[in-house]
Amino acid sequence: MKITRVILIVIGLAGLFLGALIMVQKERPDQILGVIVWIGAAIIVHDGILSPLLLLLDVWMRRAGRRIPFGVLAIVQGGVVVGAIMSMLVLPEIYKKSIGTKNPTILPLDYGLNLALFWAAVALLTAAACAIYLRRRRASSPASSASID
Amino acid sequence: MRRLLAYTQQALSAPPRNPRMAVVIGRLLAIAFLLCFGTGLYSHFLQEPEPWMRFSTVPAQLYQVTQGIHIAAGIACFPLILGKLYTIYPQLFQTPPVKSPLHLLERASIALFVGASLVQITIGLLNTYQWYPWKFGFREVHWALSFVVIGSLAIHIAVKLPMIARFWTRNSEGTRELRGETAGGETSGETAPDAAAPVAESAPVGGITGRIFRWIDGAPSAEPAVSRRGFVTAVGVSTATVVALTAGQSFAALSPFNIFAPRVKGTGPNALPVNRTAKAAQVLDTAVSPDWALTISNGPRTVSLTRAELLALPQTTVELPISCVEGWSQMATWKGVRLRELLNKVGADTAQGLKLTSLEKKGGYRVTQMGPEYAFDASTLVALEVNGDTLDIDHGYPARMIAPGRPGVLQTKWLSKLEVEA
Ligand code: HEM
Repeated sequence: MKITRVILIVIGLAGLFLGALIMVQKERPDQILGVIVWIGAAIIVHDGILSPLLLLLDVWMRRAGRRIPFGVLAIVQGGVVVGAIMSMLVLPEIYKKSIGTKNPTILPLDYGLNLALFWAAVALLTAAACAIYLRRRRASSPASSASID
Repeated sequence: MRRLLAYTQQALSAPPRNPRMAVVIGRLLAIAFLLCFGTGLYSHFLQEPEPWMRFSTVPAQLYQVTQGIHIAAGIACFPLILGKLYTIYPQLFQTPPVKSPLHLLERASIALFVGASLVQITIGLLNTYQWYPWKFGFREVHWALSFVVIGSLAIHIAVKLPMIARFWTRNSEGTRELRGETAGGETSGETAPDAAAPVAESAPVGGITGRIFRWIDGAPSAEPAVSRRGFVTAVGVSTATVVALTAGQSFAALSPFNIFAPRVKGTGPNALPVNRTAKAAQVLDTAVSPDWALTISNGPRTVSLTRAELLALPQTTVELPISCVEGWSQMATWKGVRLRELLNKVGADTAQGLKLTSLEKKGGYRVTQMGPEYAFDASTLVALEVNGDTLDIDHGYPARMIAPGRPGVLQTKWLSKLEVEA
């Protein structure tokens, strides 16, 4: 294990060095500063905005869904996650298309419509998954009450 | 401050936030990163080969597949990295924040790793629809950051190796401990913070923060097994979904499901998408000029051929994909003159490469090199027609290069000069 770790560290340091070298050879100082700003901003957006929002959403759903079986809540949360991640990739496309692309074959689709349809499909599949889950649950333990599972 | 950190860390604890999950998602993410790195290196050296490098011309779809994988695996990185960061997020609030100089270094390297990875995948994605809302050069920075990302990945794995080993399989010691199967007293899980437990008993935080913590604590807790299974399923389904609904721009089998990719097969003039238009390349006049002729030279030997003269030569038809660096690709039927027959006219020998010059006024790909393995391949054409029609001006009229297994940016459009290199 020790040897492996040493090799990995050496590879890693070499990578960092090479990356820094390429950066200073190919980019101007103000451009390098731009990259550093982007890296800092990425950390802030993820750690300072997206993650806390996710926590609030999760707590809010658990509080609001007190009376709902936890399995159903988990399925709904899963649906929201899938929809949100797809939206993260598609919303910038919608915006870029609205400000114009370099030629008409870039972003040729109606991404807004497709995203709306996608959310509708996610909602439908989530509902179906919940229904299947509840039916199975009832079948396996007819006596259990809705609040335990 | 310390108490606040500990409270936050505790408030953030959730069943999927454990080292086993970090290892499970981390493995997948590492695979995706390495796929991107490998295919990215290939793409880089195709465009900027070292003099000794030779590439395979078979299969003709080689670059279509490698770059298609680059973008598909790259898109898969989004749900995977978000899932991975979810599992380790409480670590951000670990107490004490810094234990030793080495610990500081470790935390700094993680910050660089996370930040550089997020930037790498974001600029990569925006590049696929030619959007550059920054002032640095995309290709240069994406190239430099790929070493930063893979380098910090290696360091990260080295630092965490004992932990990774403890949670590698379902039956590893750490995983079993996590399930409560062994008596192992101390949970060495990263996300089972040593500081969190005692804090819960100490005096509560006051003010607004205190109220937020109480609100969080008041929520019914998640059921561990369901919550963990739900998490893995959500990451898995997200990954499959984002790939399935975009990879159709590169892989024909998935094109019926392509509702979100920036490119769609079959769109554009000659039923082919366009990377750079004739207008952008400033060739609207020169490309249709009656004086146009293709010049082929080998030292002092020079031949000049008009489009009519090229059309009068024996024509060959080939099926070759146009495969863009941005990941989309499209099969097409090309018709034109075999490049090697033109090279024979100036007495080139099969060890010699070429310099290609386009009519473009400017741009990084106005002048490019072509290795002999491509120049003398039987399917490399100076194409005059595509899909049964004259080349559209946006696809390189009057003549363009088409060779097997090369990125689209090297399939020079609006050809002007071919020079055999000594
Ligand atoms: C950890 C993840 C990634 C690594 C290590 C990586 C690495 C690379 C490398 C080494 C290159 C070659 C650069 C050159 O030619 O100099 C490249 C090119 C490229 N990458 Fe990535 N990449 C990653 C993620 C992504 C993602 C997520 C996307 C988009 C969704 C993407 C899109 C591209 C594009 C479009 C190119 C072609 C650039 C060009 O030649 O003009 N990459 N990548």
